Amino acid sequence: MTSTATGAAGSSTRERFRSGVEAAASTYLEQPDWSAVVAYVAARTDTVALAPSLAADKPDLADALEAAGCAIVVPDQDDPAASVADVAVAIVQGELAIAETGSVLVSEHLLGDRVVTMLCRQLVQVVPADRLVDRLEEVADWLASRGGQPGFASLMTGPSRTADIERSLTIGVQGPDEVEVIVLTATTDELVEGRP
Amino acid sequence: MTLRPFEERYAAALADDDVRTGLTAFQRGWRDSRDAAIDALEQQEGRSFDELREELAAIKDRVVADWSYYLDEFEEKAVAAGAEVTRVATPGEANAHITNVVKAAGADLVVKGKSMVSEEIGLNAHLEANGITPVETDLGEWILQLAHETPSHLVMPAIHKRKERIAALLEQVLGREYAPDDIPTMVKAARTQLRDRFLASGVGLSGANALIAEGGSIMLVENEGNNRMSVALPPIHVVTAGIEKLVPTYADAMKQVRLLGRSATAQPITVYTNFVTGPRPGQRQHILLLDNGRTAMADDPDVAAALRCIRCGACANVCPPYGIVGGHAFGHVYTGAIGLVNTAFHHGMEAAAGPQSLCVSCGACAQVCPVDIPLPVQIMEVRRKVVESEVAVPAGRITALALGAFANRRLFGLGMRVTGVVSTPFRRDGITALPRLLADRGPVHTATGWRTPPAVPARPARDTLKPGKLDEPPRLAAQPLAGRSVSLFLQCLSDRLAPQIPIAAARLLRAAGARVTVPREQHCCGLPAYDSGEHDTARAMVRQTMAVLADADDVVTPASSCLAMLGHDAPHLLRGDVDEVERAQQLAGRTYDLIGYLTQGPGRLPAGSLDDGDRTPVTVHRFCQASNTLGRQDVVERFLRDVAGVPVVPLPEASECCGFGGSTSLRNPEVARGILDRKLGCVDRTDASILITDNPGCILHLRGGIHASGQQVRVLHLAEYLAGRLDGAAVDGDRGPRS
Repeated sequence: MTSTATGAAGSSTRERFRSGVEAAASTYLEQPDWSAVVAYVAARTDTVALAPSLAADKPDLADALEAAGCAIVVPDQDDPAASVADVAVAIVQGELAIAETGSVLVSEHLLGDRVVTMLCRQLVQVVPADRLVDRLEEVADWLASRGGQPGFASLMTGPSRTADIERSLTIGVQGPDEVEVIVLTATTDELVEGRP
Repeated sequence: MTLRPFEERYAAALADDDVRTGLTAFQRGWRDSRDAAIDALEQQEGRSFDELREELAAIKDRVVADWSYYLDEFEEKAVAAGAEVTRVATPGEANAHITNVVKAAGADLVVKGKSMVSEEIGLNAHLEANGITPVETDLGEWILQLAHETPSHLVMPAIHKRKERIAALLEQVLGREYAPDDIPTMVKAARTQLRDRFLASGVGLSGANALIAEGGSIMLVENEGNNRMSVALPPIHVVTAGIEKLVPTYADAMKQVRLLGRSATAQPITVYTNFVTGPRPGQRQHILLLDNGRTAMADDPDVAAALRCIRCGACANVCPPYGIVGGHAFGHVYTGAIGLVNTAFHHGMEAAAGPQSLCVSCGACAQVCPVDIPLPVQIMEVRRKVVESEVAVPAGRITALALGAFANRRLFGLGMRVTGVVSTPFRRDGITALPRLLADRGPVHTATGWRTPPAVPARPARDTLKPGKLDEPPRLAAQPLAGRSVSLFLQCLSDRLAPQIPIAAARLLRAAGARVTVPREQHCCGLPAYDSGEHDTARAMVRQTMAVLADADDVVTPASSCLAMLGHDAPHLLRGDVDEVERAQQLAGRTYDLIGYLTQGPGRLPAGSLDDGDRTPVTVHRFCQASNTLGRQDVVERFLRDVAGVPVVPLPEASECCGFGGSTSLRNPEVARGILDRKLGCVDRTDASILITDNPGCILHLRGGIHASGQQVRVLHLAEYLAGRLDGAAVDGDRGPRS
């Protein structure tokens, strides 16, 4: 995966993404790389759920988090919902970040991937800067390129919310009530050795 | 599911003050935020709302034009991704199929994401009858299920319920107290109650916002996350979707996303936009594609475009009568303007009949529809079908008889003359003045306590306007109409109930130099009959009007409603005959309402030409169809400032209907009254003592309402107001405007 210091789509795209994220009541953060994400998360919680697809994609991530003092839960296959029932914080990786809407596209085909974004109260969405795109049409391209393979992909834009009672906005209904979007700004998305 | 009869639902809605209070606040808040969201979208895209919605409409039309191709493509792709796809024709087939799926799985609990199709087919009742427990998981739907109610809005199902009622309901069901102002705690209760249900349920059911043919995917948009959980967690996922939800490609779906969130809840995008392709590992997916009248809609050119609907609910959010009675009365299972159209096809003519007269024909729905459905015209067509089907409509027979008498010009004219003479003792300033003994009691008070009816004058306008009967008005310095012949189309209502309006218009036109003639045989443009679904009568009246005005030069009417009828509805009514349409269009091309004639037509008056120095502030009610059908915005306001030099205080919700529109004012006076109250409340906020508008129907309604309420506001037609300034502004010789 290649990228530049400002990401594939340039800094103004990132600015628009940031304002979209914040307008949707998520928190926007930039970190250079996964190591910095590990440090950031470990400083805030002692247990974290990892989406199984993320754990498989980045085998070093669980080790790094554990080394930083975090207990790791990767939902098991038998009863994934039960395995994350008491975990507050979850980390997932975004396929795309969309500047137009401040959304993160998360692909979660497996039940284990789905339970972490649905059942945990705090969701950390990590997306490399070179996955930042301008418009929804690029999401359409991503979906079309999958050629009809089974899948479940969601544009996530902010924490779960409702306005069903007197149109009064309430954050946190069935899904997470806190979402942090972390954009990785370094040129590589590999874990950098030698950092906590 | 059997809904209660319309009359009961209507009475219940009127009896519940919360409905009107809550919905008025909702509509106002929604309108502001939706407009801001659409403005931002136009900026972002560098294209107008009209361009964007036409693009989406074309996508939806393309699907219907080639429906079986896209259905096959969707089915093939969905099956390839592991889904089972079943096409069903009727609600009965759909319910039976779903019940079989649930029973075969040995499940007795079904969690449901929001699905209007499941409401359409009455799925919950069917499941319960088969010993299966459906649990609604959308917060609004969950509340309604606890309350044994149905949704009153496509997107905000419980919008008719105030928080106090919800808190009391939860207390009753969950056995602990909830503070109405503590909405987060009530929301948390739903989360706690539902979490175990998601995990215990054998079947999850969802609807679909779009079926994407290209990939066999379902698009589901939501804010709460309950739909995701219904789809993802149970071992079986059942999708119920109407076949009109197809879009060809993912890129098309994105165009829908851009307009859907903004039109529904004024969000650029909802929190979750889920694309589901096939089941997850370890899961089965059943997709039901429902027809239930949809192909019949496609085959009917009067309503086919309603299949574009993306269920955003915007048409309800701007609908004045919806704001009074809510969706339980305004519509059937499908609510709002779209419900007045598609109910006839999904639930039958009888279900469609009741709410028809609630539509005030203001046209606001068509302005905000993100797929440009011509809802006002479609509602008129469905209303005609209802009348033709001879389903019993409340007061339908009486209306038909009254219209029959009205359609006969001579009979109507004679009747009004007799009434005018007989009612002389009960007439004060154009208003009926009944002796108190009569006016304060019983049915007379119910009918007129909120709106004093107009009095029938001794002489109609046409008599006063006979050649030589009217004094020569002062002449304006500007004579833009010098040497021009103007045929005045009086409008039936004004002629017989408010003759001072056409008389003032005639004075004004003559003061500007015109030779004004009043064709004797004129009667009515046909609008009342059209509004009542009596299209044959309406056509006859249009034709009579066209014949009377065939040789006229410029035609000017003080009634903008007649202009909307002749310009927009008449060509539609006559569409079976190309020559007639052309003649109607020719007539419309030389017909103006007064404001159009004075601002865009030949009678353009220069700035200051009607300035008599009076600076008493006025406010302006914009005739709803002038804004929504004729595309006018602040034309009257600008004219008054420029030409009359008068300060104009902006009226909040200026373009909203006053409540007179359609046949609502006669058949559903409670609704007309509610809308009028909202309008008068806005007038009150301006502090202006003069209210100007340019449609006689609005004037009779507003004048009667203001008289009954005791508000100290004069309601004047633009013609009356301007003619009243002639003396001060006129220049004969060296007399200039007094200052």
